[in-house]
Amino acid sequence: MTWNRAIAALVLALAAVPWLTAQDLPEKNPFEGDPVAIQAGMGGFRQRCADCHGTDAHGVRGPDITQIWASGRTDAGLFRTIRTGIPETEMPAFIAPRTSDREIWQMLAYLRTLAAPAPTDPPRGNAENGERIFRASCIGCHRVGGVGGRLGPNLSRIGASRSVEAMKIRIRRGAEDFRPGFAPVTITPASGPPIQGVKKNEDLFSVQIMDTRERIQGYEKDKVKSVVDVTRSAMPLFGPDRLSESDLDDVVRYLQTLRGFDPAVRQ
Amino acid sequence: MRAFARLAAFASLMCIGAALLVAQQLPSLVTPEEILGGLPADGSRWLTFGGDYSNRRYSPLTQITPDNVSKLAPQWTFQTGVLGNFETTSLFRDNVLYVTGPQNVAWAIDARTGRQIWRYRRELPSNLTACCGLVNRGFAMLGDKLYMATLDAHLIALDAKTGSVMWDATLGDYKVGYSSTIAPLAVKDKVIVGVAGGEYGIRGYIEAFDAQTGNRAWRFYTIPGPGEPGNDTWAGDSWKIGGASVWVTGAYDPQQNLLMYGIGNPGPDYYSESRKGDNLYSNSLVALDADTGELRWHYQFTPGDVHDWDATEVPILADLIIGGQPRKVVMFANRNGFYYTLDRTTGKPIVAKPFVKTTWATEIGADGRPVLLPGNIPTEEGSVTCPDLTGGTNFWQPSFDPATQNFFVNAREVCMTYYSWKPEYEPGQRYTGGAGQRLQSEPAFGALRAIDPATGERKWEFKYITPSTAGLMTTAAGLIFSGDAEGNLLALNSRTGQLLWHYQMGATMHGTSPVTYMVDGRQYLLVPAGATLTAWALPQ
Repeated sequence: MTWNRAIAALVLALAAVPWLTAQDLPEKNPFEGDPVAIQAGMGGFRQRCADCHGTDAHGVRGPDITQIWASGRTDAGLFRTIRTGIPETEMPAFIAPRTSDREIWQMLAYLRTLAAPAPTDPPRGNAENGERIFRASCIGCHRVGGVGGRLGPNLSRIGASRSVEAMKIRIRRGAEDFRPGFAPVTITPASGPPIQGVKKNEDLFSVQIMDTRERIQGYEKDKVKSVVDVTRSAMPLFGPDRLSESDLDDVVRYLQTLRGFDPAVRQ
Repeated sequence: MRAFARLAAFASLMCIGAALLVAQQLPSLVTPEEILGGLPADGSRWLTFGGDYSNRRYSPLTQITPDNVSKLAPQWTFQTGVLGNFETTSLFRDNVLYVTGPQNVAWAIDARTGRQIWRYRRELPSNLTACCGLVNRGFAMLGDKLYMATLDAHLIALDAKTGSVMWDATLGDYKVGYSSTIAPLAVKDKVIVGVAGGEYGIRGYIEAFDAQTGNRAWRFYTIPGPGEPGNDTWAGDSWKIGGASVWVTGAYDPQQNLLMYGIGNPGPDYYSESRKGDNLYSNSLVALDADTGELRWHYQFTPGDVHDWDATEVPILADLIIGGQPRKVVMFANRNGFYYTLDRTTGKPIVAKPFVKTTWATEIGADGRPVLLPGNIPTEEGSVTCPDLTGGTNFWQPSFDPATQNFFVNAREVCMTYYSWKPEYEPGQRYTGGAGQRLQSEPAFGALRAIDPATGERKWEFKYITPSTAGLMTTAAGLIFSGDAEGNLLALNSRTGQLLWHYQMGATMHGTSPVTYMVDGRQYLLVPAGATLTAWALPQ
């Protein structure tokens, strides 16, 4: 009887573990509105997040996250995103004990103070026409849903990761900085014509690129004539002469619809 | 009866065998004299964090030379199987390596083959407060024991032959932010250790334990208490939670019986309103009597620091001729961007000169204090200062070549926007009062720099694409070994900075440095990188 009881207690205790873990993560941020936590969270945010999301959280390389609650995300969901990162993106996992639960909640408490409502302006542009333009002008280098080129970034999630403004600036003015893996480079081999591509990796002795024919290849620096970083993006500029204001609205409207994972990748 | 006779015969044979073997072996106990001897010409040992008490990381071995270093071939690779990276300096004695890894796992490894002899793993609590990774910087060794500091703020002694715990002493309470990652230092009959936790409102200290028993011999608080000189450099009660941690092994000067340890930042890191004053002995080099822990002198590099510039870099001792005079010095490349040569009998600066871009101070004045430039106090809006919080250099090991009298350091050229605000102290929680954001406008880079310690002038540099955090080692053959942030192991000519050989290790040598030693007449180079140790030697 005693043994049975002990075993029953053990089974109960074991069963309680996952239940407890799930319960450990509150649905609501326990630090929301706490001025001390908000201040601490500002520090954490600036140190860990601001390089990509911007000091004002309106997005630089990473997305604008001021409307993230307005988009329907929950505190607990955002906590998990920070803790685990987002696969196939630049969003890293912030793991314990280097980043404690408390620090994540503090950063979210700060972020909450920057939260903006969802835009009330009706969305502009015609996504169908935007998709047509995209397929004519962009898909050679950008992949969406398993279709398209690989030289530029995959845009299958771009609607979730860039603000409308950021997308417009990129299309009109091109990239002013390059995210890792997409910096343009020209390699002049010992013989033959120069090779244009984007840099996937580099150290003192070698460089790894994808060339404009999408060949991935490494080159040893002492075996080529030169490796030159190119300051202009491989992406052509689409000024008003090439893309009218209304066409730009259409393209961006289409890009906003791209929020999913690549269907070619099984979940 | 016959069985007994056989046993007796066997036993006597064993005794003869043991006696024969002993002639070729090192004595089984490590003596203080052996440690004092530093790195011997026969390459038979590497017994302390810095190779010897001067921390030079300069080996007398000359089998591997600038001419043949490119022929180095891997002999074996050891993988930890533990999540996390090495930040350790491996010890070597009698053909066995003693290595600490992440998460307080440690090994004895056969230096001939890379095969494990024993493995130790400490049971760690799940709620550790380690700011910067579950790392460890290495063992100390004395007698029949190895000494390791633990992430839950203990000092343990392991049986060097089996890895089993011989004693376990508590340094502090991990629940309120104390931890320890430092490589202990064995001096005479004591083991010296310090506590980390400068980001958690601890009050730091250096402690000495009896190497045999684990009883505490002395404790030196890095923040003076009430009534002690220096307590008035902390406003109000701020001394109680002022940080000043100790997480990098110091040097020992046997002539003066003096320990010299670099002390960490004051807390909160970026906000000084609550701790107005110089905040002694944060960001200082302290010189302590090794027998008593009594303070003989101190030099504070960064008084009242607001940039998290711990002086937890490695001090290196040497006797130099400066301005025609023989000087006993301690050399120190500081996180604050200045290189210092101090008189180690007084702690007074002889040379102090920036070795990276430094925008917070113009120079070190005649009074030994930095001459400050305005606009470098962090604010809520942010202020830009060079170097960044990681600093002009940091805890990764420098090296000194007595033949060329060059001091070598892996330097960083990075600037930062520093923010600060008033934090609230809560036990066991981060207590930094600010943050930093690296400047994107100026591309960061790093360089291996050779500095003349008599002048602070740069002799040569080797540039990296991005800042390296690797430790260094030099040899009498004129080699310096380093690593870059892209994972390359590098060998350079230490006289010229010319690159001689490189190998892609697949992980950086962050905070680790190679060691070198002899096994069966061959010089080995042992390189920790990521979660692997690789041993190199010339082909036979």
